[in-house]
Amino acid sequence: MKGILLARIREFIRQPYSFLLFTGMSILFAWLISSLSIGGGGGGIPVPVYVEDGADAYQQSLEEQEAFRFYTVDKETLEEELREGRVDTGVLLSEDDFAVLIGVESPNAGLIQQTVQEVYTESSRGEIIREAAEEQGMDPDQLVSAYEEATGMFQLSISSFSGEEGWQYDDTVHRVGGFALFFSIYTIAYGVVKILTEKRMGVWDRMILSPMKKSEMYIANLLYSFIEGYLQIVIIFAVFYFWRGITFNDRIVEILLMLIPFALAIVALSILITAVIKNLEQFNAVISVVTVSLAMIGGAFWPLEIVSNPVLLFLADLNPIKYGLDIIQGAAVYGYSFTELLQPISVLTLMTVLFTGLGIHLMERRHI
Amino acid sequence: MLELVDISKRFKKTEAVKSLNMFIEQGEIIGLLGPNGAGKSTAISILSTLIEPTQGDVRFFKKSVIKKPSPLRKAIGVVPQEIALYPQLSAEENLLFFGRIYRLKGSELKKRVNEILEQIGLTEKRKALVESFSGGMKRRLNIGVAMLHRPQILIMDEPTVGIDPQSRSYILETVKRLNKENQMTVVYTSHYMEEVDYLCDRIYIMDQGNLIASGTKEEIKQILSSENTISIEADHWNNAFITHLKEHESINNVHVEEKEITLITPKEVNLFTEIISMTEEYDIALRSLHVKSPTLEDVFLHLTGRALRD
Repeated sequence: MKGILLARIREFIRQPYSFLLFTGMSILFAWLISSLSIGGGGGGIPVPVYVEDGADAYQQSLEEQEAFRFYTVDKETLEEELREGRVDTGVLLSEDDFAVLIGVESPNAGLIQQTVQEVYTESSRGEIIREAAEEQGMDPDQLVSAYEEATGMFQLSISSFSGEEGWQYDDTVHRVGGFALFFSIYTIAYGVVKILTEKRMGVWDRMILSPMKKSEMYIANLLYSFIEGYLQIVIIFAVFYFWRGITFNDRIVEILLMLIPFALAIVALSILITAVIKNLEQFNAVISVVTVSLAMIGGAFWPLEIVSNPVLLFLADLNPIKYGLDIIQGAAVYGYSFTELLQPISVLTLMTVLFTGLGIHLMERRHI
Repeated sequence: MLELVDISKRFKKTEAVKSLNMFIEQGEIIGLLGPNGAGKSTAISILSTLIEPTQGDVRFFKKSVIKKPSPLRKAIGVVPQEIALYPQLSAEENLLFFGRIYRLKGSELKKRVNEILEQIGLTEKRKALVESFSGGMKRRLNIGVAMLHRPQILIMDEPTVGIDPQSRSYILETVKRLNKENQMTVVYTSHYMEEVDYLCDRIYIMDQGNLIASGTKEEIKQILSSENTISIEADHWNNAFITHLKEHESINNVHVEEKEITLITPKEVNLFTEIISMTEEYDIALRSLHVKSPTLEDVFLHLTGRALRD
């Protein structure tokens, strides 16, 4: 087993190009897409706002949001920009109310609505506290700061993996996680498919005839593929942590440890795919389709919360990327503990056992 | 020592090997001859316990090894038809890797690797990556890897496919030397008649999964003892001439190549004069006409009506 691992490491050192390519691409895509403001970073998506009298405070709060770039326009300009399709969504702010104007249906509308709603809720909560303080003859500023302190200590969130209630979204974390998981599938799958190449080359037969056990041969190859894929995920997260200053809620180590079952599930899925295909050409075709489909359905490119089709949501439930992202978002955005993340971890572990068993059984039966 | 007893192997609808019986004695070089698709590789895979037969038994020192293959596996070294090496590793690293999986360690492993490199003539190329090797060098290393654990029996599946004549001759000499000096038993498959003729003590000839002849070279050639092989050489042929030959009642087999026609005829019939007059009649510019002593190729042609490389 040690021999196989050493040979694979030597091969990797002499030809690390595909690993570097996939790692580089995931870093590049996550960074580029965030920088290009598709949903956040670098100023965010532009949203024109018409501010009526008495609503200036709301506009100031909106300008502090990172995900969108709210900018003030007059009413005619707002209507014109929407009519001509220069922007998808606009906002009308008034003293007591607001309206989200939608020019073109887009997944951002819901997020904009939520962002504006939060600003109004926060502001009105402050007003209510001030009024209550005045009625009781207390210092309003003191009560407001006491409230803010208290909310900092006892933050209550209502959220779940399946419900939209209390949905929070961190675009950058999602991009980094999504692309890291997406590209790691390629790295792992191309590692596992070496079993097929070695079988075709006759190397596998040589090993079968040696005193080495078949279980050792599988374990060594699968372990190597796991290490390579997992190392890629670690590098991507580390790059964004140290270079871009993304803290992942100060839980990067925990997140990476909890992603081990994800990498194992992908190793298992790869062995299953390798078992059902006949040659490397077929593998190349299948892996491209499978990986992109998994990423799209599993929410690697956009949040699953904007998907309403029940069939797609059902397919997402069978998808390891969804559970990988649940772990990342759960820990980095929602602040869930390990116990609360046991569900996605367990599903990934189950997938690992199921796919590995099925994959090795098929591979042995088919005498590839 | 090693026997295949009434072996058949079926892959879905194809019967790759049909009722094959074969025995191998210690120190022999056995040739397994046949065209592509004859079932040689399947027979070799069964012999080396890599695949199980649909029917029949494989016995090593009279004990079945189908369910318990380890005694035979320890005793054999297999040279597959493919280049079963890591192209990104050097010759030495490949040998070290395969030595380790055969549980060779430390100084014993290093010594054995040096010996093998010497035997296959790659000592000076030990640090070069396999991907940079010529076809012949890869084939030599492929053989070297199979010899690392000092097997009693070396099973070679078409080890000279696609290489230059110089490397081919080097490999044939190596096999001959291993057999002579180390008393190594060799099972050698090929569709090159001349290789088998040069190397082997006994020969099994297969075609379409069937064993069609077996015995020593002399015994096999005796099949043609009552027949002559006539070779006609010319720059070109015409169809009427070939048809005439094929329809001739005293000619048993006609095999046509670009510039040579081979005929199998009964020994008692002398067709020389008749063939010369036929070439004149059909306006064939005859270059030579001679009777050859029978070769294994002629035996195959006689038995199947086809050439080995058809």
